[in-house]
Amino acid sequence: MTDDDSRGATKPESNPKRIGRGATNANVPGDESANASIPDGGQVDSTGTGHDSTAESAAIDGSADEPLRRGPFQRWVDESISNPGRLYRSLFYVVTIFFLLTTLFPFYWLLMVALTPEGRQQDIFLTPNGFNPGAFVEVFEVIPFHWYMFNSFVIASASTVVVLVIASLAGYAFGRLEFPGKVPLLLLVLVISFFPPAAFFIPLNDLFNTPVGILRPITGNGTLYNTPGAMVLPLSAIFMPLSIFILTTFYSQIPEGLEDAARVEGTTRLGALIRVIIPLSAPGVATAGVLTFIAVYNEFFFSFLMTDGQPQNWAPILEGILAYQGQYEVLYHLMAASSIIGVIPVAILVIVAQERIVSGLTAGALKE
Amino acid sequence: MARVRLDNVTKRYEDITAVDEISLDIEDGEFLCLVGPSGCGKSTTMETVAGLTKPTDGSIYIGEREVTNLAPKDRGVAMVFQNIALFPHMNVFENISFGLRLRTYDDEEIERRVSQAADIVQLTGMEERMPNELSGGQRQRVAIARAIVRNPGVFLMDEPLANLDAKLRVHMRTELQRLHRELQTTVIYVTHDQAEAMTMADRIAVLDAGRLQQVDPPLSCYNEPDNLFVAGFIGSPSMNFVEGELVEDGLETPNFHVAFDSSRVPDVAVGREVTFGVRPEDVHLSASSDAVSRPTEAISARTDVIEPMGDEVFVYLLLSDTVDRGMDRDPASSPDQLLMSLPADTQITDDQQVEVVFDAARIHLFDTETGTALTHGIPEADGAAEGGTMTEADG
Repeated sequence: MTDDDSRGATKPESNPKRIGRGATNANVPGDESANASIPDGGQVDSTGTGHDSTAESAAIDGSADEPLRRGPFQRWVDESISNPGRLYRSLFYVVTIFFLLTTLFPFYWLLMVALTPEGRQQDIFLTPNGFNPGAFVEVFEVIPFHWYMFNSFVIASASTVVVLVIASLAGYAFGRLEFPGKVPLLLLVLVISFFPPAAFFIPLNDLFNTPVGILRPITGNGTLYNTPGAMVLPLSAIFMPLSIFILTTFYSQIPEGLEDAARVEGTTRLGALIRVIIPLSAPGVATAGVLTFIAVYNEFFFSFLMTDGQPQNWAPILEGILAYQGQYEVLYHLMAASSIIGVIPVAILVIVAQERIVSGLTAGALKE
Repeated sequence: MARVRLDNVTKRYEDITAVDEISLDIEDGEFLCLVGPSGCGKSTTMETVAGLTKPTDGSIYIGEREVTNLAPKDRGVAMVFQNIALFPHMNVFENISFGLRLRTYDDEEIERRVSQAADIVQLTGMEERMPNELSGGQRQRVAIARAIVRNPGVFLMDEPLANLDAKLRVHMRTELQRLHRELQTTVIYVTHDQAEAMTMADRIAVLDAGRLQQVDPPLSCYNEPDNLFVAGFIGSPSMNFVEGELVEDGLETPNFHVAFDSSRVPDVAVGREVTFGVRPEDVHLSASSDAVSRPTEAISARTDVIEPMGDEVFVYLLLSDTVDRGMDRDPASSPDQLLMSLPADTQITDDQQVEVVFDAARIHLFDTETGTALTHGIPEADGAAEGGTMTEADG
């Protein structure tokens, strides 16, 4: 036994050769009896590829190498080297599980908080302290939370429409036309996207609180404060550059001939954009739209400061969630429940749009 | 159907002149090929007719209407593109009816016209297919159907066969000719393939470096090229050129002498540098010179490379022993080499001494400096010019 061990350990130079063929290949004829008397060796074979291949390969080798004793980890490493797919697969699972844990656990915890009845919020970890699904109804009774949701939805949709329309035109110009000053202009768009939104806030807030004559029939007092415009305008502008870059890339990849064909067939340049270029860039348009919608829907800064927090004044979901925070009590379970409800529209949008994106890609739309 | 007229059309990009004062008059129902090497401005010329490119200068008329500043959609033209350019997100029916649906046609009319167009290009029953489910030839036919369905006044075809494989190309070439005969629509066809131009066109317009070189029926371009460029571009393999000097009793080149009365060559004086041009099929072995109506004096040469093509044999002849055989030299323009084409049954081997004659009626002389053709068919010794001089050809 000691002889075996020492030989296995003192022959490191022969190990690299064997790694590729697997540990059991190193076994020799007559080893089976030796292994039978060695509990460790027996385990190696029974968990490895088995005796059959051992005998077979040994017969081919015709050599008389001693068995290599390996622990489970060493065997795993060895198999990973000979079969890298296994390693990639396990790494994939590790990363995926980590990712799912970090993204989904907060949701799970939010659900636990929401389900815990009022006043028992301490020490929630994996299970709720009690069970109160009524919180999901209560959120609409305490305040008109649906109204806040409607406001957020309108603001996000309007911003998305504004961004897609303007970014499509800009993307067409940047992606398909040659004009003087194209590159500097594109860089300017890029630079604007680097500005922190907070830098725009004070002048914009001042501007939106200044009465403007022509707005008086629309907003009553002539200011944009407490209207969707106060959020749609700055948020569209802030999220515009990203969409412009996405759409520029997509539109520039549509072959020139298709646009020419559409124009000869009877469209204007704008018609070709709408009928040919945009449909063929559906994945890009969907991506830009979804990103803009989510970004505006989730936005905090302008959403928090451009209204007075009243639902009738277009206050978004954010204000709704904060409305559960009173002077004397904080209704954490309602805040949690409303947060979960608030996520639902975005989740639906992503699922729907994802199908669109995938179908757009699999159609091979860009192949001629 | 319409006549198309280009009047001094010029297109300049920053420092390049792509199209240089081209004037063309294309008859109603004519099949005109714009042909030239890559970058000669033929596609740009067509794009100015389509309206996809605005000319820097000059005007374009379709029918009696000036269209220089009109959008492509208002010109009444249809175009078939080199890359076929079917809309990948639409099926065959939607592709063909794209132009109709943009105009005020009712559904029934659209349906009727599409099925008629699909019938003409033999695509009936494929209306529901998507472009990526079609073969190259079928796609090209859809593109043609899309062009004919609107009954355009003018068809513009920009190398429509360039992306097809060789066999299909020949087939579609025939199809297009059949289509043109059926529809009798004006066609402007751009190609860099002179064989396509020769076989299909009523007239060929040869372009080089943005300038129009010659506009004539295919055989005129072949037999009576206006200049060196046309002579070298039309015909495959291309014409042999040998530079020489005009002397009293004919043409003197480094390797041979062709006898004729040089005073009968118009507009040129003795001592002038001229380029002698002869097509490979007009070089004959002197043994078979009785088949030639007016053989020139025999020239001795040595065969170099033999290229049997099946129906004929190409033989590269070396005229001198000190041949410049640099790889960069085009054999057709080397003064020491000639390419001849012989019937397939000719017994000939490489490195063999042969005597060759030219067909005097089919020798071309060009002014070396300007490239202009001086005469097609050298004057006979007795004075009766058979092939006609330039002045006669023009008249």
